Amino acid sequence: MKLLLTAAVALASLTTALPAFADKLDDIIASGTLRCAVVLDFPPMGSRDANNNPIGFDVDTCNDLAKVLGVTAEIVETPFPDRIPALVSGRVDVGVASTSDTLERAKTVGFSIPYFAFEMVVLTKDGLGIADYDSLKGKKVGSTSGTYEAIALEKSVNEWADPAGSFRSYQTQADVMLALSQGQIDATVVTSTVAGSTIATGNFPGFVMGGKAPYEIDYVGLIALREEQGLLNYLNLFVNQQIRTGRYAELYKKWVGDGEAPNLTVPGVYY
Amino acid sequence: MFHTSLSLNDLGFLAQGAGVTLLITFWAMLGGTILGIVFGVFRATTPWWATAPLAFVLDIFRSVPLLIQLVLVNAFQAIAGLNVSAFMVSCVVLALYTSAYCSELVRGGIAAVPLTTRRAARSLGLTWWQDMTQIVYPIALRIMLPSWIGLTLGVMKDTALVSWLGIIELLRTSQIIVTRIQEPLFVLTVAGLIYFIISFPISRLGARLERKWREND
Amino acid sequence: MFNYTFHWRPAFQALPHMLSGAVVTLQIAILSMIIGVAIGVLLALMSGSGNKIFRGIASTWIEIARNTPALFQIYMAYFGLGQFGIHLDSFVALLAGIAFNNAGYLAETFRGGLRVVPATQVRAARSLGLGSVSAFRLIVLPQMFRAVFYPMTNQMVWAILMTSLGVVVGLNTDLTGVTQELNVKTFRTFEYFALAAVLYYLIAKAVTLGARAFAYRLFRY
Repeated sequence: MKLLLTAAVALASLTTALPAFADKLDDIIASGTLRCAVVLDFPPMGSRDANNNPIGFDVDTCNDLAKVLGVTAEIVETPFPDRIPALVSGRVDVGVASTSDTLERAKTVGFSIPYFAFEMVVLTKDGLGIADYDSLKGKKVGSTSGTYEAIALEKSVNEWADPAGSFRSYQTQADVMLALSQGQIDATVVTSTVAGSTIATGNFPGFVMGGKAPYEIDYVGLIALREEQGLLNYLNLFVNQQIRTGRYAELYKKWVGDGEAPNLTVPGVYY
Repeated sequence: MFHTSLSLNDLGFLAQGAGVTLLITFWAMLGGTILGIVFGVFRATTPWWATAPLAFVLDIFRSVPLLIQLVLVNAFQAIAGLNVSAFMVSCVVLALYTSAYCSELVRGGIAAVPLTTRRAARSLGLTWWQDMTQIVYPIALRIMLPSWIGLTLGVMKDTALVSWLGIIELLRTSQIIVTRIQEPLFVLTVAGLIYFIISFPISRLGARLERKWREND
Repeated sequence: MFNYTFHWRPAFQALPHMLSGAVVTLQIAILSMIIGVAIGVLLALMSGSGNKIFRGIASTWIEIARNTPALFQIYMAYFGLGQFGIHLDSFVALLAGIAFNNAGYLAETFRGGLRVVPATQVRAARSLGLGSVSAFRLIVLPQMFRAVFYPMTNQMVWAILMTSLGVVVGLNTDLTGVTQELNVKTFRTFEYFALAAVLYYLIAKAVTLGARAFAYRLFRY
């Protein structure tokens, strides 16, 4: 009897001790919900439809991920600055939020392999004589604070060192567009996807593309906590499978349009 | 004729934002006033060296921009894994911020009650508690209330900053509408008008109370 | 609980950059006070004048400045005026917004300040043989200044705190702007904003203590 009791206690302590070893991936599967941080003022990656439901490339990607995990997806809207606090505090499990995979940021969060890549274009108003990236020299330019393109554009402005030129960073994409339409700035550099969908809204008469920006391609990854290696491995495989199965091309076509989806590999190097 | 794309729907959206603004103001003032009274009474009735640490902390809330406080506390709760919503963070930060100002009001109000009056009360046999509730409270309240109303209005305006954490309050709703219809001047004016409509009558009431009570002095 | 390691070393390396931001912050605050005091005095005189139009302008300015958020005023100076084709630089828009706010609050302060000196004192001074200008300069002004000095110091601290709102209109050179840029590049929100908080605290304290020392020298009997 005593032996049986000891065994029962041992078994009980073993099973209660087990979840302590469970990592985030286990937690997600056990909880039955995958909570994704998605930025919803960044069409076509994330936005809201007429009924205020979240839609976009990132939203679909999150749903796909939840599906393969066998759980339900929960979209948590996070403005750009709140992505990391939401992740670190455990309010969300992963970020599907077009996060550029800079080395600086990788010191704080863990990145998957790239799940999308952006090409940057100059967005300006017609009649300002801006035809290509170099003609931005000596102009008033601006972009969304902290984005990949903002960092690159500010660097260019500093290199040109033209006293007539200036750089401004705004807190939201919407403010950049407002500043451009009012003439506070002459041009901005945005992802080709944003430029396309902004012009397509028809809200901004006079907006035109002013050629490609000669930046390195902006690869964006899914993000999770830095130490959740198990989850990050899973995310890598997930991204790989999205491309292998053609789902990536399908989503590109659905949200961005016809044409070749960006190549996510870098020639001449292992990841 | 003046033309605008601002729809009735948008006005409803603005009203919703105003509701959020008022809700946060309410919680911040409730928490801030309770804490402020506790801190203020403590500081007014205890020697300065005992309250110095508290005074130092409260001073920080008044010397650091609210925006920085909000971002900092939000980041801290994330790091500490507290997992509280941005709304909660906003209310807590604003309540602490309010308490710092409110404790000054309370302290000032209590200090304005003549010591001779309080000594007289105590020598008539009133206990400390009776002195506080029946002598100090009514006199200090008159001195404090106009400033407290001013503080409420100040906090209401300061709630505009919580939009930084992704909360959609009055100013943020107006910015969202501006993004869509591209009429910043008009939409912002409407938002400003809503702030004004909320705050102007209250500030008038405060001014009237102040005048009325001054006459009685 | 603390699933996070602080990276203080890189944050401290950014300190010189943040200090140069603090200088810009202080510049804006001081300029906004100078403009605010000038306009504030004007508004106080206007609201005390017999002219209805002057009184109307003054009270409109004061009520708008006091009853709408500072963030709103700054946003309006930038994007609101932008719709008229008036393009203020981010720095100027922030300065204009804060100066507008300062002027509104200071006008009320000065209006109160004008009342502290009883008219009998001026009459007494005049009967002692002082001219109207010297009576104002020697009798009214010193007492008035004493009455408004403390609220002015408060407003100066407010102005410093308000400069943090420049980020919404694209300012990236002041303390908050610099901090936010560092934050979005590294995602190390807590470290950088904690440093910024300390710097703001030190600036605010320096101003209050400086003012106190000044007042001690000035208002001692």
